[in-house]
Amino acid sequence: MIEARGLGKDFGAVRALDGLDLDVGEAEFFGFLGPNGAGKTTAVHIFATLLAPTRGSARIAGHDVVRESLAVRRSIGLVFQEPTLDRDLTVEENLRFAARLWDLSGPSAAARIDELLGQFGLAQRRDSPVRSLSGGMRRAADIARGVLHRPRVLFLDEPTAGLDPRARRALWQFIRDLRAASGMTVFLTTHYVEEAEPCDRVAVLDRGHLVAQGTPAELKRAAGAGSLEEVFLARTGRPLAVADAAAVPPGPER
Amino acid sequence: MARAVWGIVAREFLRFLRQRGRLVSSLARPFVWFVFAGAGFRALFAGPPGLDYPRYMAPGLLGMVVLFGAFLAALSTVTDRDAGVLRLLLVAPVPRGAIAVGKALGATLLGTVQALAVALILLPAARLSLTPGGAALALSAVVLTSLAAGAVGLVLAATIRSIENFAGVMNFAIFPMLFLCGAFYPVRNLAAPLRALAYLNPMAYGVDLLKHALLAPWSAAGYGGELTVGFDFAALAVFAGLGLAAATPLLAREGGVTRAAFPGERR
Repeated sequence: MIEARGLGKDFGAVRALDGLDLDVGEAEFFGFLGPNGAGKTTAVHIFATLLAPTRGSARIAGHDVVRESLAVRRSIGLVFQEPTLDRDLTVEENLRFAARLWDLSGPSAAARIDELLGQFGLAQRRDSPVRSLSGGMRRAADIARGVLHRPRVLFLDEPTAGLDPRARRALWQFIRDLRAASGMTVFLTTHYVEEAEPCDRVAVLDRGHLVAQGTPAELKRAAGAGSLEEVFLARTGRPLAVADAAAVPPGPER
Repeated sequence: MARAVWGIVAREFLRFLRQRGRLVSSLARPFVWFVFAGAGFRALFAGPPGLDYPRYMAPGLLGMVVLFGAFLAALSTVTDRDAGVLRLLLVAPVPRGAIAVGKALGATLLGTVQALAVALILLPAARLSLTPGGAALALSAVVLTSLAAGAVGLVLAATIRSIENFAGVMNFAIFPMLFLCGAFYPVRNLAAPLRALAYLNPMAYGVDLLKHALLAPWSAAGYGGELTVGFDFAALAVFAGLGLAAATPLLAREGGVTRAAFPGERR
């Protein structure tokens, strides 16, 4: 479903991503684990056709991200770190706007919106402006927006950033329900080890390079480690939490 | 794709209806000028018989409504970028050009609706009567000027980083476009360098068309349109086309997305 070969991206002199090879299968729950600045978002943006790769190639659901970007965008749903909702419009108006962008016809969009509002616990708030929602509800609405068109692959880029524990638990329940109901592939980026544990497979990224890939159990066994945290330590010589603070890249500035 | 363009236009209109303050001030602004500037400059203005200054200013005031309505609507793309809505548009399965077209048509709708609402009161207040032909010309002028101003506004929106420096936008974009368009005095009276600058301003052609439509009885006296109607339309079409062509890659350029994403990655 996601296929990357030698994928790389430079920002000026900075190699944000280098030599990424990746295969994610149908209906897989795939975790992309690494400290902040490891290149996770860069990879997701290449997969989503928002960024052109500097090197290598990537295919999503069989479509090349550079040459068939429209077909790729039709196949994917994307939930960014930052919300993409219009705060002045209501929850339902935001979803209707997205439905038009994804070319869903009026009646089928209305039915799908009803279904998702119910599923994400937003039915009571459908007419509330997004600015009046809690962070957790906003994120839920954003995920509903991301899966409105029943994408084959859903990218979740640090979806729990800024959410309290209760909202996080609710969000993971939504994701489990969605996967059970639709069988969609879910590609999660996170720097929280505990969020990567339930994944079918995990790739560990550090400073733009893939340092490990496999099921959580395999990775732990291979590193002789008890947790993914220790896997990261064994592979990079640095603990994840410290790498997080240290790995601030000289990102592109204007 | 038609549905996506319609979705973008519908959202612009919905936002406009939600923002009551914007609605009220956009409708009140031309009347403040009409009454206060009109009252003061009336005495300085020596026009031909039957043309006092408030009446002379009416086409320009409609142009002003278009400028504020359409140009500012297009400029709101900057806040779309901050709110993440631009990123949503960029991951939607629509060609990049459709995003620019949708935003420009949204601006066209807002400019036109506001100009029509103002015209309903302003034209009777200025005691200007319209022939059916004049009304058709005025309406097409308003629509095409809104489109051109919207397209040029998109280029500016795609180029500037934030709208925080709104005073800068007012001083270096809106005011020059407003004053150098013939809204308040004939362009032909300007010194050559300023006149050249005025003809780089899409609003000049829109206001000229509106003068053709509204001030026809005084055109022989030199107070109507200064260029031909065909030239005005052609110039507006060129501004609209060039603006859309320039805005499309600018809105989609990878930096717009990456730079927004990278600080998040670093947080």
